Amino acid sequence: MVWKIFLFVLLAFVSIAGIAFPIVPVPHAWYEFPLIPGLKENAKIIFFHVPTAWLSAVAFMMNTIYSIKYLRKKNLDDDAKSYAAAQLGIIFCVLATVTGAVWAKFAWGSFWSWDPRQTSIFALLLIYGAWFALRSSIESEEKRATLSSVYAIIAFLTVPFFVFIMPRIMSGLHPGSADDTNAGPVINFKMNGNMQLIFFLSLIGFTILYFWMWSIGYRSLILKDKINKQSIKE
Amino acid sequence: MQGLYQLLDKNAIYIVMIIVLIVWAGIFLYLYNLDKRIRTVEKEMNGDKNAK
Repeated sequence: MVWKIFLFVLLAFVSIAGIAFPIVPVPHAWYEFPLIPGLKENAKIIFFHVPTAWLSAVAFMMNTIYSIKYLRKKNLDDDAKSYAAAQLGIIFCVLATVTGAVWAKFAWGSFWSWDPRQTSIFALLLIYGAWFALRSSIESEEKRATLSSVYAIIAFLTVPFFVFIMPRIMSGLHPGSADDTNAGPVINFKMNGNMQLIFFLSLIGFTILYFWMWSIGYRSLILKDKINKQSIKE
Repeated sequence: MQGLYQLLDKNAIYIVMIIVLIVWAGIFLYLYNLDKRIRTVEKEMNGDKNAK
């Protein structure tokens, strides 16, 4: 109960600070953010866009972990957990793509320009879209769980490359690309202490939110399964 | 009318902030209620098991 209030206050604070705090060339007051050349006012999206991309990576990782667990123990509850994680993963992946495209419209001039980052997230959406197609095409519960677990493990092998490696080693428009002179790798971004603090608070808040949503997701899936099986028995 | 338009124009970022806060409060309340309802159903199901 306490952590829910904490989560609410944390993300409300991140929203207020991330949106309303002004960006100035030379920050003096504690609530002012530094101007990052090439990003300007658009830099504020970092508090919302990066956490969604981070959560999609976390969700796909949980999906794989519970797929491996299912293959080892053959417990259908683990399959429900991996399914709920993949659902959230694809939702956050779409959110990252859409917020990124809106940002690109104002930073680069067009919604979509096949930047390495955009291409890689598009490939990721296709790979995990195929996971859902595979799942929905199999009737038998055990067979579906086994096949989708195996596919999830193979699919996750691509995630580190598409999210963390490929967009960094190729030159492109996205901050953090190989030829980026402004920002460089995301962590030693030209943020000041306050901006970094709010960025990491945002990451923490979104991660807690993810685990809450995930637990609600899999608990409802497990309950649905139980109720279905009971009604078949009766 | 002119005054209202100017007010909205000058403070657009705060209006965005307020809308984001309203959306977040809505998502939070939805999740909170869902969590509570799932817990009730879980208790019911597990209670049945103990009765058998």
